[in-house]
Amino acid sequence: MSNKHFRIALAGNANVGKSVIFNQLTGLHQHIGNWPGKTVEKAEGTLHFKGYTIDIIDLPGIYSLSTFSIEELISREYIATEKPELVINVVDASLLERNLFFTLQLLELETPLLIAVNQVDMAKKKGIIVDYEKAEKILGVPVVPTVAVSGKGIYHMLETAIEVIEKKTKMEPLKPRYGQEIEERIEDLIILLGKIQLRYPVRWVAIKLLEEDEEVEKEVLEVSPEIVATAEKLRDELEQLHGHSCPTVVTSERYQVASRVSGEIQKITEPLKTPLREKLHRVTTHRILGFPIMLAAVLAVFVAIFTFGDFTSALLGDFFFGLKPAFDSVLGTGIVGELIWGGVMEGIIGGITVALPYILPFYFILYLFEDSGYLSRVAFLMDNLMHKMGLHGKAFIPVMLSFGCNVPGCLGCRIMETARERLLTAFVVTLVPCAATSVIILGLVGAHVGIEWALALYIINLIIIFVLGRIAFKALPGEPTELIMEMSDYRIPHLPTVAKQTWFRLQEFIVMAFPLIIAGSLVIKFAEVMNLLEPIANIMSPITVTWLGLPLMAGIALIFGILRKELTLIMLATLFAPIPLANAMSSVEMIVFTLVAMLYIPCVATIGALVKEFGWKKALLITVFEILFALLVGGIAFRILTI
Amino acid sequence: MNLPLTALRNGETGVITSTDFSSEHRGMCEHRAGRGWKKHFRVARFAKRLSDLGLTPGTKVTVVKSAPFNGPLEVSVRGSRLAIGRGMASRILVDVER
Repeated sequence: MSNKHFRIALAGNANVGKSVIFNQLTGLHQHIGNWPGKTVEKAEGTLHFKGYTIDIIDLPGIYSLSTFSIEELISREYIATEKPELVINVVDASLLERNLFFTLQLLELETPLLIAVNQVDMAKKKGIIVDYEKAEKILGVPVVPTVAVSGKGIYHMLETAIEVIEKKTKMEPLKPRYGQEIEERIEDLIILLGKIQLRYPVRWVAIKLLEEDEEVEKEVLEVSPEIVATAEKLRDELEQLHGHSCPTVVTSERYQVASRVSGEIQKITEPLKTPLREKLHRVTTHRILGFPIMLAAVLAVFVAIFTFGDFTSALLGDFFFGLKPAFDSVLGTGIVGELIWGGVMEGIIGGITVALPYILPFYFILYLFEDSGYLSRVAFLMDNLMHKMGLHGKAFIPVMLSFGCNVPGCLGCRIMETARERLLTAFVVTLVPCAATSVIILGLVGAHVGIEWALALYIINLIIIFVLGRIAFKALPGEPTELIMEMSDYRIPHLPTVAKQTWFRLQEFIVMAFPLIIAGSLVIKFAEVMNLLEPIANIMSPITVTWLGLPLMAGIALIFGILRKELTLIMLATLFAPIPLANAMSSVEMIVFTLVAMLYIPCVATIGALVKEFGWKKALLITVFEILFALLVGGIAFRILTI
Repeated sequence: MNLPLTALRNGETGVITSTDFSSEHRGMCEHRAGRGWKKHFRVARFAKRLSDLGLTPGTKVTVVKSAPFNGPLEVSVRGSRLAIGRGMASRILVDVER
């Protein structure tokens, strides 16, 4: 039996079920990481089929192969330069026209292609029937129907893929033709381009030059500035002829081809009654009903997560701390034992009691919402509010995540389109009071000063987020961008895909946060064992005692808060013991302390996430700024409250 | 009537006449250095995105509804449903019969 090695790339629009196909193909043999040097997810997997070893790579979901986003650039770079043996273009059977617009661009890249028309069952329900044989004839490449969620057609798709790779099927891929004016100019450019060496197909480069593609232009400019100048002249001519910018003219004509092809290969009969998903869409985006529904959904999620989380967390905590006597008997209670238990083990326990009970269900529900299509509706409703901060609707999603934990919030900033927006959103995200911060607000101020003060702190926090967000938005150079987003039809989430995504996110969290939490708790434990905490608290006293009016011990608690914010509260209670907190601190001290704890630093895991996404410099900048800002606010609050 | 997309009533359909606000910018860009050029670039980038999603001249587009408080528009184009920020939508010109 031959054992041959192939690479197949999956490409297509967002929301066409591409990742479900990827899961069907690779099962558990997959690896999710990042594209080198980029914060774009790279999903790879391996498949053994009929003696072949096939590496499957799931390219990001995109609508075009231009330069709008990093995802588009990565995808076309991969296809054009890595040259996978086959690209499987997954298209949505009920949105053929727009999906074929992308297919045409793959054909222009002259890559070996197979088209999987997915979600044919959904399309049928919508009254859309696709003629695959005709599609094959027109497009000149194999076309197979699939229903990814049930695995239907996947086997046939693979068999066809092998046939294509082994060149058993003769193909004559369609060469999308534009109008005469454009074709003439493409020809002109092809003649000129024939004289230079290129990484891409010549015709594709010619078309991209007419589309004013900055990356292609840059590459050609290095070799031959004359060609770029000619292209500019040709573009001007086309603009004169058509009255629109040249990229628009090319896109427009490409869409005409897509429209013609889709018209020929599909039959549409309008369904008689409005389907449930359509009604659901109307209600969830309704100008009045949409908001209470969203609020109820978000609240339900948080209540569910915290109920589950608190219970499981306590259970896990009890279990792990139950191990302490066993540890002590092995390691002894000397300095080494103290360091290993208090530093390493308590760090691990801390991580586990957060990651499993809270982060896991959190991610799971998030992906459930995303996969069903609800998150895009939330972005639609919140767009206007986020605009006030210079962001747009999509930014609400990472912000919402951050109320649970800032780490997924920071990582969630990837959904923003530009680097500037990612950074702005991340900055806002680190100011959001996470679950641990809520523990301090409610457990200290809420319990001992009064719930109205706790509420006031939340409101102050929100005002601060708003004001700082706005200032950062004004200060950071660049134009604001606006929402352009597809709201795909509601669908039932595919559980295995959701579960897998949750699992990979959880892994990511553990890999990133655990070492930081453990290292951090080891350092602090070491300081404690060496009796360094009090001297450090004394050094900090001009700030903590003089400026903020806090007890000396509060400084130590704040240091612990760097690991995980709720530790500040636990440490306060421990440090003041046996005096109960209510007697140890005055109301003003509690409010100032909470205010500082709320704002003063993103915890070590969040800093880790910032470093991962934005690099050391920006992470450090945000951290230092927030420390100084928290001290400023705390000092002012102390003075106002003691007037 | 040639109107910006934002002027359409809910449920109204128009044919796009122009999506690129770039032609008017271009004149400006040639005169002004640096910033103006960059602005043109950025605007063109988003015009490209709009056309990539199917909003090209000559295409029928229906405004389904707009989100409250001057929020984005929900439009239906080439069988798909898009949300478009209001500022950008106001620069898409459509021909409507009234």
